[in-house]
Amino acid sequence: MKRLRLDRWTSPLLAARPAPCPASRPRAALRPTTAASAFSRGTAVRYQSTDTTPEEHIAAPQEDYDDGTDHVRFPPLEKLPPGAASLPSPPPERALRSAKLAALKARLALPDRVPLQTLARALVDASADQNRLFNNSSLAFVGQTFINYHVSEWLLCRYPRLPMKILYAAMKGYAGPISLHHVARSWGIEHAAAPGGEVDPGLLQFSMHKPGDAFVALGYRRSEADHLKHNKWRHSLSNSVVFDDDFGDLIDTQDQADKMRARPDTEYGNEYTRMLAENAYATCVRAVVGTLYAHAGREPAKAFVKAHILARTLEIERLFSFKHPTRELSMLCAREDFEAPVARLLSETGRLSRTPVYNVGIFSGGDKLGEGAAASLDHARAKAAMNALMSWYLYSPGENVSVPSDMLEDGAKPWTPAYIDMGEVVGR
Amino acid sequence: MDALATRRAVSCCHRALLAPSGTAAPSRALLTTTPRPTTSPAAAAAVALGALSLPSGARTKATAARTRRALRIQPHYSFLHPPNKPGYPAYERPTTDEIIFNPPSSAASVYHTPVKFLPKADPRRRTAALVAAAAGTGSSTPSGLVDLDAFPTVNMPDARPRHHLTKADIEEMRRLRTADPVTNSVVTLARRYECSQLFVLMCCHAPPAHRAKMREEEAKVRARWGPRRRSAREERARRNLMLQNGEL
Repeated sequence: MKRLRLDRWTSPLLAARPAPCPASRPRAALRPTTAASAFSRGTAVRYQSTDTTPEEHIAAPQEDYDDGTDHVRFPPLEKLPPGAASLPSPPPERALRSAKLAALKARLALPDRVPLQTLARALVDASADQNRLFNNSSLAFVGQTFINYHVSEWLLCRYPRLPMKILYAAMKGYAGPISLHHVARSWGIEHAAAPGGEVDPGLLQFSMHKPGDAFVALGYRRSEADHLKHNKWRHSLSNSVVFDDDFGDLIDTQDQADKMRARPDTEYGNEYTRMLAENAYATCVRAVVGTLYAHAGREPAKAFVKAHILARTLEIERLFSFKHPTRELSMLCAREDFEAPVARLLSETGRLSRTPVYNVGIFSGGDKLGEGAAASLDHARAKAAMNALMSWYLYSPGENVSVPSDMLEDGAKPWTPAYIDMGEVVGR
Repeated sequence: MDALATRRAVSCCHRALLAPSGTAAPSRALLTTTPRPTTSPAAAAAVALGALSLPSGARTKATAARTRRALRIQPHYSFLHPPNKPGYPAYERPTTDEIIFNPPSSAASVYHTPVKFLPKADPRRRTAALVAAAAGTGSSTPSGLVDLDAFPTVNMPDARPRHHLTKADIEEMRRLRTADPVTNSVVTLARRYECSQLFVLMCCHAPPAHRAKMREEEAKVRARWGPRRRSAREERARRNLMLQNGEL
């Protein structure tokens, strides 16, 4: 089969197209410059699929911007305000004419009080525009504080016995960058190949090359951070509450900036660039929540977090991992003054076959704490102990448990004290 | 999970076949009976069978291909797409669009907490107490209705501290361990002082020379292992890890 030459198919159509609007005609495109020297890195990425050779036949240059676009083949979609293309992010007045932005606002059912300009600002990452008056860092900071507060209070009231490590993992599962990235994708947010003033304001804009250091998580850089990283020092979990970020991760913004500075510019499609993109998406979700909080208030923002973040399913029982489950269960029973646990073989089949199944239950006094089935007695006992421990840790007072922030509403029901557990059985 | 369990079981059986008779089922040592000798018919039958015959999964086929075919376990037919069964209604056939969620009934869940684990003020305790009162048992769960002693126990460590050793005992234990670590091994000391081996390890340290010697001996033993034993050990470790992570 012969190769299809798509460029030949379309060339007659392109030739027949009328000349583009003079207002958006790039003046500099006529200048006899070489493509490599004239293009900034960002523009080269943005138009990498286009023919970037300067053309001699283009007439009537108007604007002072040079990105090497073939405006005969790709006429601009809208008339840009003068000087827009030289800005790092789209000017706010363009937000009113963006179809993508209006669609996003309608899709998220944001109230009318939220202006489109602020929503557009929520889509500009600090790495795209360094100016804090135009990027989303301040909105994202409000948003992340709001989201993390509500997720953590809900987790603590709903699962009061979760061990610290599992709690951090659950926080990350609900409000971490990867989850929020999925939320943003589910909202239909897409990103521009590179930021700039001429980009549609409805696209998420971030740069893979400049560190956006405006966004700071709550926490401190530990003085022993280098040892923790290079010498694999251990640190206790409880001081993560003070030092580390909301997900129990070490804070090292300087290190991140160095890492970004050291990387080659041509690097794409690896784990690191994916992480950068996910963080930008997550920051955008936080900024949308911050926008809602700033313009509509606490209650709509809380309902929004509940609907978009807390409504997601996280299998908390999959987060557990036990080192010595039987020992931990014995310690739990000793601590809580229960009778010592006894493992009993409830039923078995095929002991002499190649696929035996043992069903072991663990009892404390007359009460069954857990049950597990496996192909060996030891594994079945361990499974039963793990199930018993998990049902201890996964205790929940109920689905609609009240959280402290409910009390801030008008006409709230009287407060019922939340169940507070004394803590995990063994340190992990 | 099925596939993994199958592979391990085969190698176990194979090893059992190679081993001299009488050591066919090492896992039985895990099962200890209650002080009153159990009369569980299943256990009795197992013991009788184990003395007489080899495991049924033993390699008895003439060729490797037949053995492999015999040992291969088909997945449950709810996982086959579409199940090739006559009279199986089309609407019940699973498609790739479906998620089959079929956790074991014993899996821990947020929606079911054992009554013993409920806090004192939880309203579910009251319901359980009403149920227990209606059943006329002292226990708060339906398992109180059956005689638990009918089920054989499986080893379970008792982590309850007994505090029966005095400071002098511990000093003596340390002295013995330092004086002659070969005679006074951890197991011997634990048996002698009726405490756990972990407690002995917490109390005393063997002299560094003895530790180095033991490590050397262990390395020698490890060096003698062939590829089968080594891979079997590695697989066992990996399987234990999977169990701890809840993947088995």
